Amino acid sequence: MPQTVFAPWDDPNEKPLISFQRVTKRFGDFTAIDDISLDIFSREFFALLGPSGCGKTTLMRMLAGFETPTEGKIFLAGQDIAPVPPNKRAVNMMFQSYALFPHLTVWDNIAFGLKREGKDKDAIEARVNEMLKLTRLEKFKSRKPHQISGGQRQRVALARSLAKAPKLLLLDEPLGALDAKLRQDTQFELVDIQEKTGTTFVIVTHDQEEAMTVASRVAVMDEGKLMQVSTPDRIYESPDSVYVADFIGDVNIIEGRAHQTGDNVQVIWAEGQPPLMAKTQKDFSLDQQCWLAIRPEKVAISAERPQAPNTLRGRILDIAYLGNISTYHVELPTGHVIKAQEANTRRIARRSFTWEDEVWLSWTDTAGVLLDR
Amino acid sequence: MRRLVLILVPYLWLLCLFLIPFVIVMKISLSDVALSIPPYTPQLDLSAGWQGIRDFFAELDFENFAFLTTDDLYWKAYLSSLQIAAISTVLTLLVGFPIAYAMAQSPDEWRPTLMMLVILPFWTSFLIRVYSWMGILANEGVLNQVLLWLGIIDSPLQILNTKTAVYIGIVYTYLPFMILPIYAALERLDGSLLEAAEDLGCSRISAFWLVTVPLSKNGVIAGCFLVFIPAVGEFVIPSLLGGSKTLMIGKVLWEEFFSNRDWPVASAVAVILLLILVIPIVLFQRQEQKQREAEGT
Amino acid sequence: MKKTLITTTALIALGTAAAAEEVHVYNWSDYIDEELLTKFEEETGIDLVYDVFDSNELLETKMLAGGSGYDVVVPTGTFLQRQIAAGAFQKLDKSQLPNIENMWDVISERTEVYDPGSEYSVNYMWGTTGLGVNTAKVAEVLGEDAPVDSLSLIFDPANIEKLSECGVQVLDAPTEMIPAALTYAGWEDPDDHSQEALDKAEEVLSAIRPHVQKFHSSEYINALANGDICVAFGWSGDILQARDRAAEADNGVEVEYHIPKEGALMWFDQMAIPTDAPNPEAAHKFLNFIMDAQNMAAASNYVYYANGNKASQEFLAEDVIGDPAIYPDEETLDNLYTVTPFGPKEQRLLTRMWTRVKSGT
Repeated sequence: MPQTVFAPWDDPNEKPLISFQRVTKRFGDFTAIDDISLDIFSREFFALLGPSGCGKTTLMRMLAGFETPTEGKIFLAGQDIAPVPPNKRAVNMMFQSYALFPHLTVWDNIAFGLKREGKDKDAIEARVNEMLKLTRLEKFKSRKPHQISGGQRQRVALARSLAKAPKLLLLDEPLGALDAKLRQDTQFELVDIQEKTGTTFVIVTHDQEEAMTVASRVAVMDEGKLMQVSTPDRIYESPDSVYVADFIGDVNIIEGRAHQTGDNVQVIWAEGQPPLMAKTQKDFSLDQQCWLAIRPEKVAISAERPQAPNTLRGRILDIAYLGNISTYHVELPTGHVIKAQEANTRRIARRSFTWEDEVWLSWTDTAGVLLDR
Repeated sequence: MRRLVLILVPYLWLLCLFLIPFVIVMKISLSDVALSIPPYTPQLDLSAGWQGIRDFFAELDFENFAFLTTDDLYWKAYLSSLQIAAISTVLTLLVGFPIAYAMAQSPDEWRPTLMMLVILPFWTSFLIRVYSWMGILANEGVLNQVLLWLGIIDSPLQILNTKTAVYIGIVYTYLPFMILPIYAALERLDGSLLEAAEDLGCSRISAFWLVTVPLSKNGVIAGCFLVFIPAVGEFVIPSLLGGSKTLMIGKVLWEEFFSNRDWPVASAVAVILLLILVIPIVLFQRQEQKQREAEGT
Repeated sequence: MKKTLITTTALIALGTAAAAEEVHVYNWSDYIDEELLTKFEEETGIDLVYDVFDSNELLETKMLAGGSGYDVVVPTGTFLQRQIAAGAFQKLDKSQLPNIENMWDVISERTEVYDPGSEYSVNYMWGTTGLGVNTAKVAEVLGEDAPVDSLSLIFDPANIEKLSECGVQVLDAPTEMIPAALTYAGWEDPDDHSQEALDKAEEVLSAIRPHVQKFHSSEYINALANGDICVAFGWSGDILQARDRAAEADNGVEVEYHIPKEGALMWFDQMAIPTDAPNPEAAHKFLNFIMDAQNMAAASNYVYYANGNKASQEFLAEDVIGDPAIYPDEETLDNLYTVTPFGPKEQRLLTRMWTRVKSGT
């Protein structure tokens, strides 16, 4: 699998394709981008993830050339792109609304950028056909945008933005307008096309699942700042802040004070409760405020007290049945509610637990991540 | 029943405001001039019964239409009207498009005000507005005085009573009819289309030609028809602002009707004018229909 | 509530009663002293509805369409004659018009051509068609000895070419312009309707056409008064109005009216009662009221036109009766001519020729 060996961000000799250097963007009093530095490498599928208004779209529009940084510099292949207008950048964008030209056919939409380059007819013809084939749109080439479905439109937009073979392709919420089922299929298609063309993709999305599925690396943003930039598995397994842990997937957060011995930490979290045990590479001072983040699927639920570094007793408050798994909301005597997930390997009638049952929750000392912010 | 009524209303409208007057005018155009009240013959005499109706129809003929072909005045006047209307339409477009474009580009909160300003002149009588242009364009008028004062010209420009003044008058009067449909088209234009065009390698100017212009085409066409059609038959503007050299069919019609008292020939002129206008109107309707189909709703 | 209703009904009833005692008069614009209208209402108790028009063609179209709703209208002689032929007017009941004895035979003899025996109409005002001259500007262009009292001022291409610098307008009325052109050309009968006469007139008019700023029948009043033009060929009263407007505005423009020495057209505006007049009795009252010597004099003193009422002359202001531009002397009067209407065929040739002259088409 190339994905496993593909990690240019870990190679200090690798030159980034895009480099944001202390970039700030303000609109009047509002700071949309706050002192961001970020490197994106060639052939990456890079996701900018965050809630709406976090600045991810602004960041992308600066790459496209529709916005200019208030402070700082952006380099594309080592060149400062500030003075380069959008139409001269080797960057193309796929718009959230697709922005297909309604007066042109699918074919002409895809050919639009190529014609502007002044290529000869045969070259354009060949390239457009290639794009049509790539996106499986051959049959629709003479239709107008309003005569095709949403998914087809999305593929036209993709084909159009890829036609010029840009160094960098920007995708603004590319799947936002599709329904859930189509979205999933398209996600894989996107990855496929990205691998086939070898183009660097930067995708903007607010959908964490989408980001996790398609991206080689994910940047989680909040209020104009980068919260964490890492591979999807590391973002999930080792979030470095409560914000990221909470934004990506489901998580239990327990606040407490740290008592560290080597890489073992005792988290003092509630009166009259034994401390929680966790391992960490970080250094915590005595009684430093800390947060233990544990994914629900890492919390085991049992009727008998199990042998484990962390065991807590509680009562089942609620059960969310999701088909393949069930999430149990367990209330501790302290009032905390902890979520635990179990795979439903047995039939619903034979489920072990039900509402109001007294149960034991347990997890290992490596299951959780101890966070200092 | 409700449907029937809904369908009937526009047809009734068409019948009362177009078809009946047209039939009357058509009938007069087939009559002969006479010194009587009203000044043409035959009159439909229903008291004479069936025979009266037969006599009436027997006396109608196309003599007046034949007469129109005997004198080059008429086709010259039609051509000249079409030419003046066409030039005025192009000028109105050249003035109106940038205004509509600027309106569509302006911040949202300004738009109602700008729209208001475009419509505002309608609150004054059309005649008063045209008369005030006489005051502006006259040799001793405001425009010449300002230009003289600025030292741009040495002697007053003769604008009033020339074709130029007619063009100014038509452009001024019909400008809102050009601006509004174009503005409506431009306002609907998705800004991201222009960004997409730029992103794909267009300069601002080529994006304008390749995206803005084709997408505002329907507005432009609607605006052009709204200006062209009434401009062809225009009478007031050329008679107030134009010189005696400005030959327009409206003026010829007026003379047939008022100076020659020849209602039948005047009606024939009007019928032909209508036919000339029906062609662009039909084209316009076709275009509209095509647009509706294209939008696929 | 009931009482109000009754009152309202009564009012409506009164209103309809009053409507029977209404008289609708349709006259030229700026052609009467409006105090006379109030005076008429006070004397007779009849409501006077007074509308105005500004072209004979407009009036004629209304007359020929029928059902105009007017009781008294004021067409010019040539138009009157044709409308009588079309049956637009009713014969006057002279027994209801005792003031008719005030009328001036000099005028009624001349209106015989249009309305023999004055059966259908009485004269309201009359005037001449001549030259309005901005003296200073014309002197500037043509010198002090410019022929301001001669048709050659505008019909001699050499003169009008120079005058076009300061602007010349003439009437947009072929029936006025053609007799003048024929008179200038020395044609025997200025009222000749023959093709030869029309050709001759066209030749004269076409020669001056490039130098005419505009053919229009009313704009010259303002243009002359403002100094936009320096010569107008138009109706006496209009030019005198321009003279007064300029004097009032005190803008340094001085306008004079000259009756051309070669001869000038004399026209008559006649009051008549349409066949379908709703209230002919009130119409007769109005005619009789106007023919009152003092009332007629008041109208003339106001509009600066001569009238056809002999008895009114003693009440005329000195600047009206004493102005030869309004009341020409005996010799000039003999030099004035009248014209008759064109028949339908002739009219078409005339209009066509006029269009050709104006537009070169």
